[in-house]
Amino acid sequence: MADTLAAPALTRSARPSGLAPRRAGRRASASVALFTAPTILSIIVLGAYPLLFILAAAFSDSTLGRPFQEWVGTANLESILTDADVVASFARTVGYALVVAVASAVFGVAIAVALERATRSGAVVRTLLLLPLITPPVVVGTLWKLVFNPGGGLLATVLPDVSLAPLSTTAWALPAIGLADVWQWTPLIVILVYAALLTQDPAVREAASLDGAHGIRLFQHITWPAIAGTVVAAFFIRLVIALKVFDLVFVMTSGGPGQASTTTTYLIQQVALKEFDIGRASAITIVFAVIVTAVTLVVAGFARKARHE
Amino acid sequence: MSERRVRPRPVASTVLFVALAVTLVPLLYLFSVSLMGRDETVAGVLWSADPHWSNWGDVLATDIPRSILNSVLAALGGALISLAFAVPGAWAIVRHNAGGRTLGATLMSPWLLPPIVAVVPLLTLLRVIGLNNTLVGLTLVYALVNVPVAVWLLEGFVRRLPVEIEEAARIDGAGSARLLWSVVVPLLLPSLVAIGIIVAILNYNEFLLATFLTQSVDAQTFPVALSLFYGDRTPHFGKIAAASFIGVIPVFAAAVFFQRWLVGGLTAGAVR
Repeated sequence: MADTLAAPALTRSARPSGLAPRRAGRRASASVALFTAPTILSIIVLGAYPLLFILAAAFSDSTLGRPFQEWVGTANLESILTDADVVASFARTVGYALVVAVASAVFGVAIAVALERATRSGAVVRTLLLLPLITPPVVVGTLWKLVFNPGGGLLATVLPDVSLAPLSTTAWALPAIGLADVWQWTPLIVILVYAALLTQDPAVREAASLDGAHGIRLFQHITWPAIAGTVVAAFFIRLVIALKVFDLVFVMTSGGPGQASTTTTYLIQQVALKEFDIGRASAITIVFAVIVTAVTLVVAGFARKARHE
Repeated sequence: MSERRVRPRPVASTVLFVALAVTLVPLLYLFSVSLMGRDETVAGVLWSADPHWSNWGDVLATDIPRSILNSVLAALGGALISLAFAVPGAWAIVRHNAGGRTLGATLMSPWLLPPIVAVVPLLTLLRVIGLNNTLVGLTLVYALVNVPVAVWLLEGFVRRLPVEIEEAARIDGAGSARLLWSVVVPLLLPSLVAIGIIVAILNYNEFLLATFLTQSVDAQTFPVALSLFYGDRTPHFGKIAAASFIGVIPVFAAAVFFQRWLVGGLTAGAVR
């Protein structure tokens, strides 16, 4: 399931709920049902069916080769909720996602505002700034792994006196992955916020600056209110992407050293593919899904508030 | 407006300069490493004294080109099917309020869950229909994965189409299918290009589903093949970098070529 650039429900409420068909004949309804069939099929195949499968697997003894061998009730759930490694991965992932999303949002807004103010920067600069966004995450991981390589990497070459090996240090492995993550996804915030800035009325800002508003004050009273809704929605998208971080962990650290960078998606992959324990992996997935939903609901609540202010 | 153009903006320019440097230095470093020999990658040099283009040649002799071709096929095939499925869906949702609020609200819900959720069930499903480990199977999965995304992005564009043209066509006797094909699709073409590019890039870069669903060399995509490049006991960083760089070329080329549409697709349909 590819990471996407779309914001779910929270932006939807702001839109009119579809122009009523003024002249849609009765003949249309049959074909309309046919038209939406592929969309509904994809939601079933990618949403409903996996969810039911995972639910069934979580409450049964399941291996990769032979799922649903025996119903075991809540045994899987109990075992993962009392497993310190699993619980730690939940906390690690949520903390990681929040920090990375905030960092991306701050840098993204700063760059977007700069991009709009520096009127001379053209399409070339915009395209260059977008490159990390379209670089395959596996390449991004490889690239930063090379930068952090303690023997001859970019960081070690530029700072030879400080012996840095962040990827093999318990304290720095996850922040190093976070840096790559921020590098990759900040452009998404840049482009979304930049688009929002372009839609605001330049006359308002001209008037404000004639009245003496500059710098921080101009941003606070004129620019920010115009983009706040977009920033919160973009932050929401970014947060969900960060909660799902997998490729970077896989390529850069394989979850190590120890468990220092084992995020939940990586843990699930390990349990499912290394231990073949689908029941346990499903149980972790379900608890994680609940956590993701809870975190995103809280953020969506803030988003709605910011939008109506 | 003309006054803005001449006024220098030192803070904005500085921020942009730093952002560009931070964006480009790692990519340039990747290119630089791709030309280094084994000894140079551990010697702490920034540019090879004697560029080893042979790294690129060696990589081109491996499974990497094959995997890039696989990625391109799955990415484009998946994107085309996604669009074919999404256009009627988005149009029905906007013009006929099909599915009401329920469909709108559930549309993106699979996206909120970590993709790992879908991997094992999908693997099982593909095994049942005999398409596991094939490029066709992966392409179909990509196609379905992105239908909700494409519908979601398309909605904004469809909403902006003038409804009068469609009404006129309907009075002239066009049925829904005819209307869609001869009126809506041509009007949407630029947006379809934009969304098609975005979806194709998402597919090209996708890793998790591809590792599970394409284990054999015949079907492997580029991210999977690259991840296996670390297999050697003493990895040759120069060759790894060369492989990475070669694999990025198709997406970067597409981005530069379709720059205008890409930005349009990212901004126009999205967050408002």
